[in-house]
Amino acid sequence: MGKYTLFQKAGLYLAVLIFMTFILLPFLEMFMASLRPLEHLFRSPYQFWSNDMSFQAYFDIWDTVPMLGRYIFNSVFLASVTTLLCLSFVIPAAYAYARFHFKGKSVSLGLFLGVNMFAGAVLLIPLYKLLRSMGLLNTYAAMFVPGAAFLVPTGIWLLKSYLEKIPIELEESAWIDGASRIYILRKVVIPLAVPGLIVVGVATFIGAYAQQFLFAITFNQKRELMPLPAGIFEFVGYQSVIWNQLMAASIVGIIPVLLIFLFLQRYLVEGLTKGAIKG
Amino acid sequence: MATVSLKSIKKSFDSTQVLFDINLDIEDKEFIVFVGPSGCGKTTLLRIIAGLEEATNGEIEIDGIEVSDAHPIERGISMVFQSYALYPHLNVFENIAFPLRVAKLPKAEIENLVMRAAETLQLTDRLNFKPGQLSGGQRQRVAIGRSIVRQPKVFLFDEPLSNLDAALRGEMRVELAKLHKSLDATMIYVTHDQVEAMTMADRIVVLSEGKVEQFGTPMELYHRPSTKFVAGFIGHPKMNFLKVPHLSSSSKGVSVELPEIGEQLLPVETKAENSGDELEIGIRPEDLILSKTAKGLPMKVEVLERLGGSTLVYGSVSLNQNFCALLQGDALVSEGETIKLVASPSSFHVFDSNGDAMKRQEVPEVMS
Repeated sequence: MGKYTLFQKAGLYLAVLIFMTFILLPFLEMFMASLRPLEHLFRSPYQFWSNDMSFQAYFDIWDTVPMLGRYIFNSVFLASVTTLLCLSFVIPAAYAYARFHFKGKSVSLGLFLGVNMFAGAVLLIPLYKLLRSMGLLNTYAAMFVPGAAFLVPTGIWLLKSYLEKIPIELEESAWIDGASRIYILRKVVIPLAVPGLIVVGVATFIGAYAQQFLFAITFNQKRELMPLPAGIFEFVGYQSVIWNQLMAASIVGIIPVLLIFLFLQRYLVEGLTKGAIKG
Repeated sequence: MATVSLKSIKKSFDSTQVLFDINLDIEDKEFIVFVGPSGCGKTTLLRIIAGLEEATNGEIEIDGIEVSDAHPIERGISMVFQSYALYPHLNVFENIAFPLRVAKLPKAEIENLVMRAAETLQLTDRLNFKPGQLSGGQRQRVAIGRSIVRQPKVFLFDEPLSNLDAALRGEMRVELAKLHKSLDATMIYVTHDQVEAMTMADRIVVLSEGKVEQFGTPMELYHRPSTKFVAGFIGHPKMNFLKVPHLSSSSKGVSVELPEIGEQLLPVETKAENSGDELEIGIRPEDLILSKTAKGLPMKVEVLERLGGSTLVYGSVSLNQNFCALLQGDALVSEGETIKLVASPSSFHVFDSNGDAMKRQEVPEVMS
């Protein structure tokens, strides 16, 4: 790639600026709203900055909703279990799709992609009946089992293309040295696929974090098992909505995901583009 | 320790047949080289012996035991891959130890065996390095180390030197030959480089389009190639070919008409089916010399390569037939002129219209 002219550079930054504004403005408004006292939220005319702003809402949220900490823990816990469960299915499946030839391979891969086209909401009623007959309603499993199931197809597609990049000779060599398939998977394939696994893991975690709400309000009625998106509903009262605290709680809830992103973004960018170009 | 015999091996990928009825008997401790142009099936044949590929038809015996359905480890083979296939996440020690870890040997024994292999291959000071930190030659040695550490009966090499530069390749050739002597094992080596084949092999298998063209010692292949293909493949620079009129045949040989030389008796054994109006003669560049008289094959010199000790002359003989001659370093030749070349009649090879060679009656002592 050649160097950009000053004009082109300016254009690039302008485009980035517009895009970022579009994405980040809601977050900024969320943050600003969390700083304002409740009675000043609907003040007219709109004031971006006022002198009575404070972090008070961040202290009050824990009193208004005493179980907030539990909700945040539930969210992270559910997303983690969903991710682990999902990966335990994705790894062997993606390996099989990357390495073996069998009948119906491309058909089943296509079907997996097709599953992704159904939003979870379409399947809520059948899923409810299924979970009830399995006796899983109102448990953690009611949320992470369907959660993992919906994330498996994307995981397989992502990891499969990564595994296909690992030279087959490495596995053939291990095979000749007497290693079993499982041994090869454990000692050769998985260590080499770590960057790919991080990508799939992070994508699954974020997916799991985002989709909890639907499964939580449908399949669970126990307050102590609720994840954050559902728990935040407690800020919505019969008379009024405590908007500033709701925003503060949302920001606190985003922080775990944000930290993971910041920590792993190097791998994420590397991994997502890795399969794009043939080496 | 181990003989290998292949009995009517055939292999097809879908509808394409890549190996046609391969029969070979490899003796114990032999260094065998499969050589041939790319796509001739040599690597497929090696992978069938290794057990990575299943033959469509035929049997493989190692030490007289049928192993066609056996796992590679039961065959007692090990293989070095063209790409080395080193595990990038493991250090040199663990790479060499891999087969032993699979076999669940005790720790002390693993250490002992790996150290011994590392000593043989001069890798002792590299054991903690990752493959990415090694040079091409060192990676090659690690790959060999991994294959010798579990003391297999048969070693398989798939073009192991093709990723190295020319100087290193020469060095590794010598090292591999030494290794073969010290290990006393049967080795099967695949290459497309006839120099590697000639220098290392006890016997060479020349493959072409899925068939064995010839199986013999390097000197047999050089002096008595059985077909035009082998004659053209073995030897560097390549043998020159020329189509000439066939005058007569007798027990003394065939008489042909050479351009500007006239009738020439070439001492080869003739068979009844070798009649025909035209024969193809082959002459190696190193057998040609400058004629001292005006009589000789006329060659128009196009390119000269003076290497100091010798001179390579490229040009054409009658009707633009490309020719090459290896002359002395101080040969008085210049580009553009026409020179006269002669060769001893016994150094000519003669091929019939099928490309089969007529057996030469006189060949140098080195054959016996």
